[in-house]
Amino acid sequence: MKIWTSEHIFNHPWETVTQAAWRKYPNPMTPSIIGTDVVERQVIDGVLHTHRLVQSKWYFPKWTHALIGTAKSCFASERSTVDPKTRQMVLKTNNLTFCRNISVDEVLYYEPHPADASKTLLKQEATVTVHGVPLSHYMEDLLTSTISSNAGKGRQGLEWVIGLINTEVKGIAESAARGTDELICTTRRSIDEVTESARKGMDEISVQASKAAKAMHIT
Amino acid sequence: MNSIGEECNELKKQYDACFNSWFSERFLKGHTDESACAPIFRVYQDCVKRAMREQKIELREIDTEYTTNSEYEKTGSSSGKQQSKS
Repeated sequence: MKIWTSEHIFNHPWETVTQAAWRKYPNPMTPSIIGTDVVERQVIDGVLHTHRLVQSKWYFPKWTHALIGTAKSCFASERSTVDPKTRQMVLKTNNLTFCRNISVDEVLYYEPHPADASKTLLKQEATVTVHGVPLSHYMEDLLTSTISSNAGKGRQGLEWVIGLINTEVKGIAESAARGTDELICTTRRSIDEVTESARKGMDEISVQASKAAKAMHIT
Repeated sequence: MNSIGEECNELKKQYDACFNSWFSERFLKGHTDESACAPIFRVYQDCVKRAMREQKIELREIDTEYTTNSEYEKTGSSSGKQQSKS
């Protein structure tokens, strides 16, 4: 078992960060999350309780495939509470039985920064346990470093969503929901375009290179 | 974000849009009545539950490390308490 902890300060109020937390996916920084669904949700004594199913795809080095299988989708169960009175959002994520050998348990706490209420403090804790495979400790180290880099990406992803929300608030779109979808579509499209032009660029380079190579053979 | 069931994507999109505006405009402002999105939530739930049955996804969670911790200690795992800060 390996424990990883981290703290991060968002320069945005708690209300903005919690709204963004619900809309965290999709974002370009964490493509590993491929699906989410709410399976239970209700308000109990003023606190919003939500149970979500999160589908993700994990990639590991090739040599580990014999031990834990190739990259396949895992399902995680995320239980969260949002208390608007105490201004605390807590999200606890557990692996479901799909990835039997690996359990990753994560807890995220979002609360106003104690010294500056216009900022939000994120406390994050992850526990990695690999069961019943050889080199368990090695695998745990590997996963912990994956989580560490994913956590950074997760925070960047959340900042990206906050940027999106702030743009909306400034009045880009009348309807918040439609605005987001459009923005996401536009962003996706521009990402696609960048990728496409990069690919074209590469194609062009290889055409040029093979031409050059042929020319060299001929001369 | 997509649903785990492709056929639920459209319903999920509608529900998410409803929830997001309810969350920011109502819930965070102290109104806890959740009936606004209840009808679309029910339809979306029916779809998700069906998709889960079809994909044989069960919401039974495995024991967390907090319960297996003592076993690890007993077997003398030296890395049991490693902490790293970043």
